[in-house]
Amino acid sequence: MAKISARQLFFFLACVAPVGKIILMPSALVQAANNDLLFPAAANFLLQAGVIFLVMLLSRSNQTFYQLLANTFGKIAAKIISVALTLFLLYCALLPILEQKLFVQSIFYDTLPSLIAFAPFFIFSAYLCAKQLSSLGRVWDIIAPISIVGFFGIIVLAVGNADFGALMPVGAGGGKGFLSGTAYTMLWFYDSLLVLMLMGRFEYKKGMAWKAAVFYLVGAAAVLFFLAVFYGIFSDIAIRQIFAFAKISRYFSAITVLGRIDYIFIYALGLVMAFYCAMPMQAAAECLSDAFGGGTLRSALYSVGINAVMLTITIALDYSFGSVRDTVGYRLFWLFPAVCVGLPLLALCLRRKKYEQIR
Amino acid sequence: MINVTGNLKTDTEALKKLLPAEDILTFSFQSENGTEFTAVFADALTDKELLGEQIVKPLRKYLGKTKAEEVGKGLNAPELKQEKSLEALAGEVLAGNPVLLWEGMDKALIAGVKKVFVRAVAEPPTDVTIKGPREGFIEDLKINTSLVRRRFKTGELMVETITVGRRSNTCVAVCYLKGTSGEKTVKEVKKKLQAINIDILPDSSYLTHFLAERSYSLVKQVGTTEKPDIFCAKITEGRVGIIADGSPIALTLPYLLIEDFQSSEDYFVPPYRATFTRLLRLLALIVAIYLPAFYIAGQLFKLQLFPVKLLLTIAGSIRDIPLSPSLEMLLVLFVLEILNEASIRMPKYVGMALSVVGALVLGETAVTAGFVSTPAIIIIAFSGIGLYAVPNLIEVTSVVRLAMLLVAGSVGTYGIILLTAFILFYLAATENYGTPLLAPFAPQIGRDLRDSFVKYNLGSLPTRPKTLKSKNKRRLSNG
Repeated sequence: MAKISARQLFFFLACVAPVGKIILMPSALVQAANNDLLFPAAANFLLQAGVIFLVMLLSRSNQTFYQLLANTFGKIAAKIISVALTLFLLYCALLPILEQKLFVQSIFYDTLPSLIAFAPFFIFSAYLCAKQLSSLGRVWDIIAPISIVGFFGIIVLAVGNADFGALMPVGAGGGKGFLSGTAYTMLWFYDSLLVLMLMGRFEYKKGMAWKAAVFYLVGAAAVLFFLAVFYGIFSDIAIRQIFAFAKISRYFSAITVLGRIDYIFIYALGLVMAFYCAMPMQAAAECLSDAFGGGTLRSALYSVGINAVMLTITIALDYSFGSVRDTVGYRLFWLFPAVCVGLPLLALCLRRKKYEQIR
Repeated sequence: MINVTGNLKTDTEALKKLLPAEDILTFSFQSENGTEFTAVFADALTDKELLGEQIVKPLRKYLGKTKAEEVGKGLNAPELKQEKSLEALAGEVLAGNPVLLWEGMDKALIAGVKKVFVRAVAEPPTDVTIKGPREGFIEDLKINTSLVRRRFKTGELMVETITVGRRSNTCVAVCYLKGTSGEKTVKEVKKKLQAINIDILPDSSYLTHFLAERSYSLVKQVGTTEKPDIFCAKITEGRVGIIADGSPIALTLPYLLIEDFQSSEDYFVPPYRATFTRLLRLLALIVAIYLPAFYIAGQLFKLQLFPVKLLLTIAGSIRDIPLSPSLEMLLVLFVLEILNEASIRMPKYVGMALSVVGALVLGETAVTAGFVSTPAIIIIAFSGIGLYAVPNLIEVTSVVRLAMLLVAGSVGTYGIILLTAFILFYLAATENYGTPLLAPFAPQIGRDLRDSFVKYNLGSLPTRPKTLKSKNKRRLSNG
């Protein structure tokens, strides 16, 4: 399989990564920052864009993160760190999976509110995890237009009902709202870690670092516009409107005649979301492959193992979404910046050390 | 290896020993000077009239020249060969070429007077066009290669023949444009064809199994066509073409999925019309695959998918149906598949009756009796028609449609989404002779997108598809 191209990576950053942030995050932002929901989201996007820029600079060496670790600390330490990173990637995947499970049960089904509806996701994910991360490149080429159509379809149906005046007055949430909004939504921002895992799987080209950051910010702008429309429609009751993107377009006037045509766009985004949700698990499987060797059989074993663990956790936490959300999002929110920002910064040091060693 | 000895009786017996079948005939005659000859030939494969006119008649006046070359000069047959080996002679007899043995000569003459049974070059029933060439390949390799050669009056067209089949010894022609087709692909195709170890080769479709890179694949891995103009166009783009003797279906490699959405007619109509029809084919395929699945998923799990009035109509139709929506749909699909299969195989006059039975008796009576609902029949009929908008993909799409139906009936809309994601990933990861199956969409190749679902003007397509990695990139010169 060929390496991921620059265009494919940009498609991921601009069109795939934003989709994971429009389900529960909008209502969580409103809970913390009220009508100032755009600022905490923008802060997180800017932080991630900056880290992605640094990771892209780091990727000039065309080495994987594991290779950098092994070069610096030796193979044993690299393996230990890889296992820890695998666990963190699964931790990152946990809430989006539970979130998606809830979303699927609530939006896709009237009559089947059970785990059965979501369990097949792990079959799909297991298939994905058995393949290399670089195989995703071509998928991004296809799902990027699907994502754009889905996103803009929903926005077009919804924007007419939005009252942007609801976003005023700016700054009503205060500094506390901004900080808590930024902190408590960090769990949705692990894109820099995914890019770190993609390192060495794409060919670095000159100027790619700033272009990647810009493409990420383009996706961020789309999400911010979505948030504005979302708050513009629901205003004070936005806090209770979870599964935002499936709800904002249902007030479109022609829906009463044509039926829920917005479902076409919701399904399109649901397709993109399936790939995005499985990606941390795929990155975790790749992390293990890097550390302990790949091959068809081993990759299949990692894939089955990871998905079995995640399925078990999902079943175990079937009725505990609230407490998981409190733990992951509120009490342990600092883990996300510590790893998703700290690790790439640490990786920058690794690279310097390696070059010093070479000299 | 046994050779011809020059003793007519011994040689004839040896050849008959190699070919003991009853339809291998011998014909002995004498020339004016008393030299004895024997012609050995396959009864139905040799043109006896030509044999008599071109070979036997002149030989009766034979005056005793000893060299085979000199004998050959006196004959009227344009195709003459000499051979010593009896095994090779036996092969020629089986190919329809009579072998001529005579007393005192340690070589035999082979005359190219085989009888050729061919149907006329006609429009293939699977690829009918309103505009553009109407010729189709037939079952004869020579005629098929001549149809190709007629379109390439250049020495760059290479036609290399490989024999496949231990018993059938079928000739397979590998056609490509030197300097345009990928050398690696040509080499690989020839290597794979030479490695085939099968007793007989009834049709070119047998070759697809050996040429495919994956033994088990959801989608086909080799392109097929029955039309020489399409075959030549594909070769011009940088592909390798394969024609097998006895088969009207030619193969092309590497295969891209988009090929099956393109029709030869698209290149003879204005680009906007071609774009429209290609998008229509895509839409028809999507409808064919997804409509029954979403209908089931909507009924079972998400009634909101239907507008209220439609929902009321459906509710009224299915009220007294004893089967569950999934079973009902599967039953109708099953009946449609049976009708389809039977109507293809049945004689035409019975086919008419079958249509009446299918449409009226089964369809209307089943609805009236309350076995199935009207919407189910409409949806399956619509899906069935949509499937035929892209006829080359019917095998795949009918399987995918069934899978979608089963998933929709058990897991609902999210199952449909996951299965779609699964198929997308599978297709995106599939490669064929180093060419991605979903190119030019995944990976996206901007220039090649001009002849994908959107069709640009010929002037905007100056280069060959980048996907096929042709050495000679330009097909439309500036001057």
